[in-house]
Amino acid sequence: MDGIVGVLQFATDGVNQQQQATANNLANSETPDFTAEDVNFQSSLQQALDSAGGGTANLTVNPDPAPMATDGNNVDTSTQLVDAQEEMLQYQTDVEMLNAQFRLISGAAGGSFS
Amino acid sequence: MSDLFGNINVSGSGVSAAQTWLNTIAGNIANMDDVSPTDEATYGEQTPVFEPDAALGQVGEGVTVAGVDEGSTAGIIEADPTSPLADAQGEVRVPDIELGGQMVNMIQAQDDYQANTSAMADARSAYQSALTLGT
Repeated sequence: MDGIVGVLQFATDGVNQQQQATANNLANSETPDFTAEDVNFQSSLQQALDSAGGGTANLTVNPDPAPMATDGNNVDTSTQLVDAQEEMLQYQTDVEMLNAQFRLISGAAGGSFS
Repeated sequence: MSDLFGNINVSGSGVSAAQTWLNTIAGNIANMDDVSPTDEATYGEQTPVFEPDAALGQVGEGVTVAGVDEGSTAGIIEADPTSPLADAQGEVRVPDIELGGQMVNMIQAQDDYQANTSAMADARSAYQSALTLGT
């Protein structure tokens, strides 16, 4: 991955994975002994962007540490629904940023900036 | 995730699971007042068995209904001498199902269904924005 388009592409893919994890957690909100999944890439991406020589960002899938109910399930439906909204807006923001980059490239190449 | 618009299918599996749950609840309520002779089994409370659909080391891909648990068909023995199915002691066998418990399950199943449709709508909005890329 290189350049801002690469960063945005990585972020968009990451948010897509987060959305899948949230959808999966909600689908399993009544499955006994199910442990919710938590996908994170933001901290790794931040670190890669902060390192001087450029670094590699990774996406990690971790079990959600939330306390479990008596059936061994630890999905908190309201938290997941809030996450779903956040991730949708984050995804749309990333796409909008990508489109802005493409408009800049198009303008710089002699086309239209809008 | 490999298929196009895959997150919609993840939520779809949750909607199907909730629908199966609602169906078993409807069946349980419909059969609450079944009557059987004491020497026969009666209707057992049906409960769906949910299992996660996950490949090792990857984000899960939803939920599957592994089967429907039949529950105990022993039911409870009730005195009902006027029933044509009553035995010599005037007793019959009826299912051990409480309407209250079924209604509580139904509310949970409905919430489960709605949460999944809500997540599906979010996935749809995100995918629709992706379709604007480069336009």
